[in-house]
Amino acid sequence: MTILSQLNSPPVYAVCGGIVAFVAAVCVVFLVRAWRAGVALGMDKAKMRRVITSSVTFTVLPSVGILLGVIALSGSLGTPWPWLRLSVVGALHYETQVAQAAAEQVGMSALSAAEMTPRAFTTIALLMSVCIMWGMLLSTLFSKRYLKKLGGGGSSGGGAAGFGDRAMTAMFIGLICAYLGSYIGTFVSGGSFPFNGDWSPLAVAGVSALTMAGCVYLSEKKGLAWVESFSIAGSMLVGMAAAVLLRLWA
Amino acid sequence: MNEQERQAAFDRYNERTHAIGRVVSVATLILLVGAPFALGAILGAMPDVGAVARSFLSVGLVWMVSGVAEYLIYTPMLGAGGGYLAFITGNLINMKIPCAISARDMVGAKTGTAENEVISTLSIAASSLVTILVLALGVLLLVPLQPILQSEALQPAFANVVPALFGAMAYKYFRGNMKIAITPLAVMSLLFVLVPSLTGSTSFMIIPSGAMAIAITWFLYRYERKSSDT
Repeated sequence: MTILSQLNSPPVYAVCGGIVAFVAAVCVVFLVRAWRAGVALGMDKAKMRRVITSSVTFTVLPSVGILLGVIALSGSLGTPWPWLRLSVVGALHYETQVAQAAAEQVGMSALSAAEMTPRAFTTIALLMSVCIMWGMLLSTLFSKRYLKKLGGGGSSGGGAAGFGDRAMTAMFIGLICAYLGSYIGTFVSGGSFPFNGDWSPLAVAGVSALTMAGCVYLSEKKGLAWVESFSIAGSMLVGMAAAVLLRLWA
Repeated sequence: MNEQERQAAFDRYNERTHAIGRVVSVATLILLVGAPFALGAILGAMPDVGAVARSFLSVGLVWMVSGVAEYLIYTPMLGAGGGYLAFITGNLINMKIPCAISARDMVGAKTGTAENEVISTLSIAASSLVTILVLALGVLLLVPLQPILQSEALQPAFANVVPALFGAMAYKYFRGNMKIAITPLAVMSLLFVLVPSLTGSTSFMIIPSGAMAIAITWFLYRYERKSSDT
């Protein structure tokens, strides 16, 4: 029996699938509770439905990207473990890096099925779990006090939240700036000559931004409010399609 | 329901959210850390705990710092329910945070309000369920899907999911906030141009970039308040 057939065996699927099912049930519980709380607080049901629709459409494309991460890791770690890691707690950029680093630590020259042993696999799996548990751990220990201290206990009135609200938007703008800056840096300094690096992330971001501008125009100026729910997913789709066309053209 | 009753109902909801959130976070932690041992029992090879400890010192500490920073920064954005769920289901920067922020702005909910708490939880729960469903379907259909998803022609599309996401978000958030965005964007671009190796640490560069944006917002906020007072 090869290592991959061991890692893809029904009992391994059962363990990983059971945990994924548990987390899915947790999500359903939180979703239902939040919906009921919204109704009890007198929130507009149509607004809540729009939030769910927009979140669903927003998530589909990045999820397909994450599925590629599962496929990429399945060649060395089997399918069930990457499926579990990327469905729950994990992040695409994190899992690959930690799996690679862990493989080196257990004496493998690279993360590959050829060198994988059951002991190496369980060791890598444990390290992947331990390294990224901090958010959950800190939430359990501190979230209640932390949010209380920040005044986020939630006023049911929904009035102006002053600087705190602006600060959250500013933090998000900072996050976007860091990523866009990295695309500009990659293009300008990423190649062997200035302005010779990979320009596709910058071009894709540009196309996506232009599409978003079109969506905003349609929803705000032409009264097509429904466009807003699909604007991010649609802009991403056009941006990603542009990446395919740019590769064909370049 | 009057305002007092609404507040009492929301306080009860929030208390219970923390209780459930803590229980499920601990349960998920136990399941995730226990899974390698359960798999070890199935495969007949337990993890090498010594190697895990050594590896943790070399790679885990970096992720610990990143995890603490993520917790401190994103918890106020997500609120209680959204926070517990997001840290359980992962993919924060590339999915849950933009999703929740976008949902919040779509309905105009303010940070720290009951409405924001509900919207954030709805958004992250829906997003997490979609990811779980897409991955489950993908794993189920792995054999027929693999050649399509891994086809050479589609690789540029999947390699550019994050730029496509942040391009769209950039238009949405920069257009009303250019005064806030221009400086961190210029400084970050310059840093990445001068030190190209920083591209491998973009998630860490969010911290100075965000700090800059918050500082500018603070000055603008103070200026506006002063202007409105006089």
